Amino acid sequence: MLIQKTIKEIIILVAVSVALALAVNTLSPKGIGLVGQWDTAKGVITANPAGDAAGRLEEIDSVARAKDLFDKGDVLFVDARSQNHYGNGHIPGAVSLPVGQFEKRIDFFLNRYPPEQPIVTYCSGRTCEDSHELAQLLSDLGFTNVRIFIDGFPGWEAEGYPIE
Amino acid sequence: MCGFLLTDFRAGKPKGIQLNNRAQFIKNNSWVELAGRWILGLTFIYASYHKIISPADFAKIVYGYDLFPAMFINLIAIVIPFLELVAGFALIIGLYPRSAAIIINALLLAFVTVLAINLIRGHEFDCGCFSTGQSGYASSPELTLVRDVIYFVFGMQIFLFEGNRRSCFGRLISPH
Repeated sequence: MLIQKTIKEIIILVAVSVALALAVNTLSPKGIGLVGQWDTAKGVITANPAGDAAGRLEEIDSVARAKDLFDKGDVLFVDARSQNHYGNGHIPGAVSLPVGQFEKRIDFFLNRYPPEQPIVTYCSGRTCEDSHELAQLLSDLGFTNVRIFIDGFPGWEAEGYPIE
Repeated sequence: MCGFLLTDFRAGKPKGIQLNNRAQFIKNNSWVELAGRWILGLTFIYASYHKIISPADFAKIVYGYDLFPAMFINLIAIVIPFLELVAGFALIIGLYPRSAAIIINALLLAFVTVLAINLIRGHEFDCGCFSTGQSGYASSPELTLVRDVIYFVFGMQIFLFEGNRRSCFGRLISPH
């Protein structure tokens, strides 16, 4: 029967695909876990909670705490989003350092800020990992006090805090 | 080059939908069939590439569609690209072409459905069709829908084709 033959073939093709997918995913250094962290209530979403690059860096998970740091004034907010987003509105005094242009702009940044400068990175909230990547990059370069404000600009704006 | 596969005879002649002469000619044109397999095959292999090399980014795009339970997002992101790769490869080498075409068309139907739902509810999303970049979709979702419909028609032709399929690789394992 043609239908049975077709079903058998489809099962073979799908089985090969699944086997190959799982094998490659397991062996590849870029592979992800079988279940990710996709609940924004629990923190930043990521396909790979175990392999989270910024696992060692401190996360600021409340907007009020970020505001406290902002009010103290000695913390430098660094915006990991694109320049477009930054231009449309950012936390007052924040410096733009899009993670996609990190290499191009980091020299300027290094010349201006000492390694002990307290830094808080942020991006577009809990559905974006750019602030984590940026924090990791800065930490790798020797910045000793880097934290991540995970609710990012949308969280800040929603609280009605000042923007510029 | 790209001659016929002599092993591909299907028992029992005309059945199913009656088509007019021109449609019949296209349906059973072996060059259209060959072109369709290569176009779909190369397209799907190409489309799978970015997703395979950065599964975490693709998973985030799947999350962005806002349609799937959190539990399955990673599995979808891991398996779908390899379905595209394997089915695309099967089409090109002519392994189980009818079945590979069914898989490709099922994927296309799924993509179109996901795209259409998000388009209708005005949900902002990245189609993630050919790249997992952060820059949003390269082409408009409307264009993507039209493109997918064209692919789907090629897939149908491969599925409905009756006769000897062509191959560019000599004898094939199972040309049906």
